Amino acid sequence: MPLKLSHFLKNLLALMKEDYHQQLQELIKDARGITCLQTLDTEKAVIQVTGRRIRITSRARKKQINVRVTLSRDCLFKILEGKITLSEAFFANELKVSGEPVTLLRCYAIWERVISLARTSPRLYFLAYKLR
Amino acid sequence: MLHRKMCQKSAVEAGGSSGALSLGFYRIEDTTLVDAFNIPSIFDARLALYKEWHDFVFFDRRKRIFSFLNFGIYGNPYDSKRGCGFALLFFADRRGRTFAEMKLIALDKLQVSSYNPDFIGEGIEVVYLKDNSFKIKGQIGNLACNFKLPVILPPVSGKDIFLDVLNMHGTISYGMARAALEMAKLWDNWVELPRLPVSGEVTLDGTSFTIDTRTGYHDHEGGRFDWGSTWGWDTGVILCDPLIEEEPENVEFRFYRWGPSDRFSHGGVIIGMKNGERKYFDNENIQITRTGRFTNGWSVVPGITRLLYPDYHPDIPERVILSASDEPDKLKIVFTPKAVCSIVVASIYGEPDRVFNEMFCSASLNGNIGGHVYDRTIPCWFESVRPRGSVSQYAVET
Repeated sequence: MPLKLSHFLKNLLALMKEDYHQQLQELIKDARGITCLQTLDTEKAVIQVTGRRIRITSRARKKQINVRVTLSRDCLFKILEGKITLSEAFFANELKVSGEPVTLLRCYAIWERVISLARTSPRLYFLAYKLR
Repeated sequence: MLHRKMCQKSAVEAGGSSGALSLGFYRIEDTTLVDAFNIPSIFDARLALYKEWHDFVFFDRRKRIFSFLNFGIYGNPYDSKRGCGFALLFFADRRGRTFAEMKLIALDKLQVSSYNPDFIGEGIEVVYLKDNSFKIKGQIGNLACNFKLPVILPPVSGKDIFLDVLNMHGTISYGMARAALEMAKLWDNWVELPRLPVSGEVTLDGTSFTIDTRTGYHDHEGGRFDWGSTWGWDTGVILCDPLIEEEPENVEFRFYRWGPSDRFSHGGVIIGMKNGERKYFDNENIQITRTGRFTNGWSVVPGITRLLYPDYHPDIPERVILSASDEPDKLKIVFTPKAVCSIVVASIYGEPDRVFNEMFCSASLNGNIGGHVYDRTIPCWFESVRPRGSVSQYAVET
């Protein structure tokens, strides 16, 4: 039974608080104001960065959502394992992203830093594979 | 053991003047302890930097399949949050296609010990059997293997190689002394099995191949250092067939780097001949040139490297030409990479990444050593470790 998306995001946040506290504070500072509706297969979760914290919720006002990301578990792991690139997934319509370009670039920079941290964290790797 | 003794006996009978006999500390039976994981104490101050692994390499000349298998443990081995096991299967087929899969193994699902070379993880295992052979069995993704590798020669440690070179030269050569220093900085333990027959089966994306070769090789190394602290090395073995008279018994090369340029690399090449004589060329007598750019089959692990650096391609030359001369002996080896697996490793201190380029090459060997004339093209494993980044950061001077 794969881990639910919202549980994954909450565990990811807890892990970053424990192992990468300073980096997490910097990420929050850079991501302030982003409300992302993340869809993984049929599951949905909202990542909301307000003030000094990140909240994972199940819903948000439509007006507040400024980024939407939709992909399947299959596509996510194909990207993580290097079987396809982000742009290949995007142009194959397996990854759908919408939002203001500036906000999307901020999101991309944040995920890039999280993924970069994951390379030295077995905890993050194993947590990600619980999603599968 | 018998084979090595026979080589030594024949060399004594030959009374070779240009070569020297190989010295050895170990017996085949010592493999179980010498090749075991050297897990540091729980009180060790550098536990977070611990890393240790088995490498197994072979090339099946009939099936034309190259294999590089790595089984390691990384990070604090007592902390499941900060340590893990790692398994990598890399193959290149006759068409030059590359197949690579890696997997991290949680420490609670991994068995390694200081008493034997076993590495038993989830769905993949290396087991050292009582009959002095390795069994490697497992599956990662679409790649599966089931091999048996009997140990037919005793293990060789870094000390053996250093003494061998000393024995051949009669004096401590500058190149090898510096290389030994660089090796000692990195590795707490380093050991190799210079020849392993390999038999079994491999499955690549659903197609199975029977493997039967005499040209396997194994090494095992471990240390406690951050990836960002090394400038890397170029090492490898030419996978000679012991039954082909025209080929040397073995050829190994080791160059360790202590700065950003090839000018700061030290080491040499050791050629073992069929009569047991050995010849060492120090880097002072070697010229290395690189030409062109590699464009053949290539894999990269971990996969997120493609996500982080979509345009990344390792800076590998089309050819590496090694010319050695130590009158009256001469040797020229032209390495042509055929397939590559790049393993990108991150420093925990934020230093630039390091890249292990595990290359399957053809090595065209020409030379005259101690009256033996060589003119053969032989498969080769070449491991080139360098900082990842732009050419200016690169150790290669192209």
